[in-house]
Amino acid sequence: MKAIKILERVLVSIPIMFGVAIIVFLFMRLTPGDPVDIMMGRGGAVSAGEIEKLRSEFNLDKPLHVQLWLFLTDAVKGDLGYSYVQKTPVTDLIRERLPATIELALTALLFALIISFPIGILSAVWQNSLLDRFSMAGAFMGISMPGFWMGIILILVFAVKLHWLPVQGRIDFDAQLAAGTGFFVLDSLLSGNRAALISSLKHLVLPGFTLGAGIAAILARVLRSSMLETLRSDYVVLARSKGSPEWNVVLKHALRNALIPTVTVIGLQVGVLLGGNMIIETVFSWPGLGRMVVAAIFQRDFPLVQGSVMVYAITFVLANLIVDILYTYLNPKIAL
Amino acid sequence: MENKQPLLEIRDLSVVYPSKRGEVRAIDSIFLNVEKGGRLGLVGESGCGKSTVLHAISRLISRPGKVTCGEILFKRKNLLKLSSREMRNVRGKEISMIFQDPQTTLNPVFHVGEQIRESLRLHNIIPGTHLPWPFDIARKRQEKERVLQAMREVGIPSPMDRYATYPHQFSGGMQQRALIALALVCEPSLLLADEPTTALDVTIQAQILNLMLKINQDHHTAIILVTHDLGVAAEFCDTITVMYAGRIVEQGPVDDVTMNPQHPYTQGLLACRPVISKIDQKVQPIPGNVPDVIDLPPGCAFAPRCPQVKPACLEGPIPIFQTGEKLFNRCLAQVSYERDPLWSWEHIVRQCDE
Ligand SMILES: Nc1ncnc2c1ncn2[C@@H]1O[C@H](COP(=O)(O)OP(=O)(O)O)[C@@H](O)[C@H]1O
Ligand code: SF4
Ligand SMILES: [Mg+2]
Repeated sequence: MKAIKILERVLVSIPIMFGVAIIVFLFMRLTPGDPVDIMMGRGGAVSAGEIEKLRSEFNLDKPLHVQLWLFLTDAVKGDLGYSYVQKTPVTDLIRERLPATIELALTALLFALIISFPIGILSAVWQNSLLDRFSMAGAFMGISMPGFWMGIILILVFAVKLHWLPVQGRIDFDAQLAAGTGFFVLDSLLSGNRAALISSLKHLVLPGFTLGAGIAAILARVLRSSMLETLRSDYVVLARSKGSPEWNVVLKHALRNALIPTVTVIGLQVGVLLGGNMIIETVFSWPGLGRMVVAAIFQRDFPLVQGSVMVYAITFVLANLIVDILYTYLNPKIAL
Repeated sequence: MENKQPLLEIRDLSVVYPSKRGEVRAIDSIFLNVEKGGRLGLVGESGCGKSTVLHAISRLISRPGKVTCGEILFKRKNLLKLSSREMRNVRGKEISMIFQDPQTTLNPVFHVGEQIRESLRLHNIIPGTHLPWPFDIARKRQEKERVLQAMREVGIPSPMDRYATYPHQFSGGMQQRALIALALVCEPSLLLADEPTTALDVTIQAQILNLMLKINQDHHTAIILVTHDLGVAAEFCDTITVMYAGRIVEQGPVDDVTMNPQHPYTQGLLACRPVISKIDQKVQPIPGNVPDVIDLPPGCAFAPRCPQVKPACLEGPIPIFQTGEKLFNRCLAQVSYERDPLWSWEHIVRQCDE
């Protein structure tokens, strides 16, 4: 029964993916700037014949609807075309960059959870305490501070001044890490390479924290307010009247209920995680999908932008599907 | 009942909730006696402090409220002097509670059976050596057996199927039965029932009261039944305590209090209860409103609504008079009383701080 419902959700997301594809396609073509002009440079040393040849090679001479049709039919077959600039299949470029982005996003999520859960729970248990006031002020700052700004400050303090952590990149240049899954932490664990593991973990700290901080702030506030509500509920009084120790009352009876609204918010934050990563990857020169997309947009590399955005969209839909499944698991009153 | 040993003795119990407008003296100088297997009714209008009495007994007064004075002797131990760990061993095992709204009282995200089993686990009811989770299968099976037995006893049909269902899949009456099973699974000697039937349909109310009566008789579990309905208390209890604005106004054996009420408030409560056998009888509600406990008059709190009020009632606090072996009444209507002009409620409270 549940499997059927999940399949239903997957099927519903297919038209959404088509919608995303069409919108991205149109937006790229509506933005001013012609890819071939940008590719050739503004010098104008190239002959008109060569330009025409390039245009027809990229199908840019065909009418818009034909271009769209070609893009969609190829995409369904798993072919996202060739990058105009790098002359490589888009799928290869994405496959190369995606692990870096996923590694960063998961680190950020981990940071967000590790920071927000203790703070959110304790602020509710000790409402109006010094800890509560202090951390809610911190959360307010975390929400209002732009990611790039926080990233630059952290680089200045922890990398440039204190030399505790690296300024940019995923791993030290001299780290000898054999190619593998592309997830550097996993690869160095699998090959037992201690130096590479430490190096890649160190590189993850600042960008991961920067990307996770805003989400941590939002989650801490949501968790605090839901915990305040569940801690006031009748079933918490019941738990106490059974002789439950207070940690069991808080962590089992109250938290388990407070997770229900919190998980919904985590789902919404996946979008922030994906969008934020373009900025953070640029600030920290993180060789991931986000930085590649930013570059591709400036170069009007239509296939690369389209392909990457499709990957973002799929990730977003998948993440929300997981959150929905988690939500029904947490809330027995809801069937998927 | 047969053996009239005291189980619970409360003396001079007062609870205060500090608030922005001042101190709410939720209950003042409460005294109660419950014998083993006894059934005490705590009656009064909403806000008179009935729930506060129960919460004080199980030491669950919500912050910033606190017990300012008094003693709660349970099996000769003063509960107010126990450490929080010792008190946790009393809660659920020796003293259990059931609540007004079963729908919000069961935790919505856990199976009903598991919630009952948690009580057994918390108090280590199944004897023997125990392996830690996840090797506790044998213990779990024995606990589950006990839970099913309790569910059967409170009249939940096909408990096997009901064990692993969620609270929202139960009707209100079934939820309350499950909560009673939860309260009784560790075989406590005292059950605190806070308006257990108020949220239920009339027909279900009678079933739940009968169930509680059966448990009282089969297990000798003493019960304090809180209700705003003097009629329910009259049918169920052997002793009745009537409260008004946080204070006891009348206390005594059920027959004395219901057949021959002495306090005008108790008389009013009886008069406003319809009696089915007398169709044409007039129901007379007590005129006026429940007073605000934050701002009580210096004299009798019931004076603004009392048909027998006299000048002495307004001058200062009314002491409680013992009018029979176990009969108490806080009223000046039938007595002549020489007042000490310095004697005030504040005086009494100050005395208990010492
Ligand atoms: N948590 C609390 N904070 C402040 N005042 C409270 C609190 N709980 C109860 N009170 C006050 O104490 C008085 C008695 O309440 P309660 O014991 O719930 O009465 P009852 O159960 O008889 O309706 C009421 O006036 C109420 O306003
Ligand atoms: S003391 Fe006076 S006012 Fe109070 S109930 Fe008795 S007669 Fe009425
Ligand atoms: Mg109440």
